[in-house]
Amino acid sequence: MIPSKLLASCALVLLGLCSAALAGAAPVDDLLRQYQSQGAGPFSAAAGEKFWELTNTHAGEPRRCALCHSSNLSATGKHAVTGKAIKPLAPSANPERLTDTEKIEKWLERNCKWTLGRSCTPQEKGDVLVMIRSR
Amino acid sequence: MVRVWDLPTRLFHWALALAFAGEWLTRDASRLDVHEFLGYAIGGLILFRLAWGFVGTRWARFASFPLSASAAWYYVRGMLARRPEHHVGHNPAGSWAIYLLLTLAALQVVTGIVALGAEQRLGPLAAMPTFELGDAAHTAHLVLAYAMLAVVVVHVAGVVVGSLLERQNLVRSMLTGAKHASGTDGVEARRGVAGVMIALLAVSTFAWFAAGRADARAQRAIAALSLPLDPVWQSECSGCHIAYHPSLLPARSWRRTFAVQHDHFGEDLDLPAAKSRQLEGYAMRNAADALQSPVAWKIAHSVPASAAPLRVSETPYWRERHERVDPAVFKRVHASDCGACHRDADNASFSALAIHVAGGASAPRKGK
Repeated sequence: MIPSKLLASCALVLLGLCSAALAGAAPVDDLLRQYQSQGAGPFSAAAGEKFWELTNTHAGEPRRCALCHSSNLSATGKHAVTGKAIKPLAPSANPERLTDTEKIEKWLERNCKWTLGRSCTPQEKGDVLVMIRSR
Repeated sequence: MVRVWDLPTRLFHWALALAFAGEWLTRDASRLDVHEFLGYAIGGLILFRLAWGFVGTRWARFASFPLSASAAWYYVRGMLARRPEHHVGHNPAGSWAIYLLLTLAALQVVTGIVALGAEQRLGPLAAMPTFELGDAAHTAHLVLAYAMLAVVVVHVAGVVVGSLLERQNLVRSMLTGAKHASGTDGVEARRGVAGVMIALLAVSTFAWFAAGRADARAQRAIAALSLPLDPVWQSECSGCHIAYHPSLLPARSWRRTFAVQHDHFGEDLDLPAAKSRQLEGYAMRNAADALQSPVAWKIAHSVPASAAPLRVSETPYWRERHERVDPAVFKRVHASDCGACHRDADNASFSALAIHVAGGASAPRKGK
């Protein structure tokens, strides 16, 4: 009896790990499909990279993504106002990134508004996500 | 020259003087551990002196220097007329300094222990939960410190003037014990008692500053002061700054924070309605007004009812507590980064024992 229980537990643990891994891969694809349905695409990491370094003057100061997140996505960033450390965005350096759809959307919305003074277009968001995922 | 001051009396005098100086140097919260130890040492010294006033040698006994306003006034007038009366033991003005300093020092020990217990969860009254009494004791502690300093200044001035007029070095007398007097006025040295005093001071110093003791004590104090933080609040509010515990601002400040969330220091939080309500409710229930911690009590009582500051650093209590911090520290560290100096910022405990000023400056003092 005991070995079969043990086997069942192991199987459940494996299942949990696999579904977590699958869930971790899905959010960006889901979002890209969503952006495509809004008329955007195809997406390119090169366009995302260009967008990343684009300087925009908003609220009287030059702002860009890299200001807080750094140009090196594997590096720890620094909040432009508070100086708080921002964990690396590159999934290779920080596996927690791009695993939570709600979180991705929230921060894209909040940070686009801060940087550009407007929401990003589906095309811009798709390009940036593809770029981040490639790092 | 004859020995007038026995050794324990002299030891008491200089130990108290040194401890008092030490208390001034360690008055910043970041040095509370040493400040507290010196306070207990002063308490012990006072107890010794009270006993020695009855069982000590002739000139150390209270009976030899009664408190008399008329005698002190007569003595001071004599000094002003440049013909001071000679006293073998304490003169009537010096007696006043002694009784005043003993009383003030005793009050400092008491108010210090009350404030320490209520505000820092440290010391014999660590279980005392009345922040109100702690606040009153802390205020009294600050006022009495200046009163004591004033008495010390007058005492030192009196000793200097008295030494010049009497043509004998009274400071040296308090070191060597010897004064001009007749042979029959002499007293024993009482080295044995002095030896016990030194041993007790050495042992207590060693025990207090033993390796690891301060850390273990800080951990206990932080645990006693800690407030839990809601995990949703923690994850939603820690993106750009530490997740400030709601107890750091009054409820009206949190209401305003949520009302202006579309311009939250230049960011649009744009929280989903349900989450916004949930977080606002949590903040309102746990705001400073709920008085869950000594810091919450201080903040709640420092912010005028008409004000609803959006930043913790705009509250009068925060400003008062940080006005002596070297401005250079805030050039290196943003005021939102509490954890840069307060190692327990995430627990909202803000224990004095958890302060280490960012950048290595040990004392948060101006112009240093």
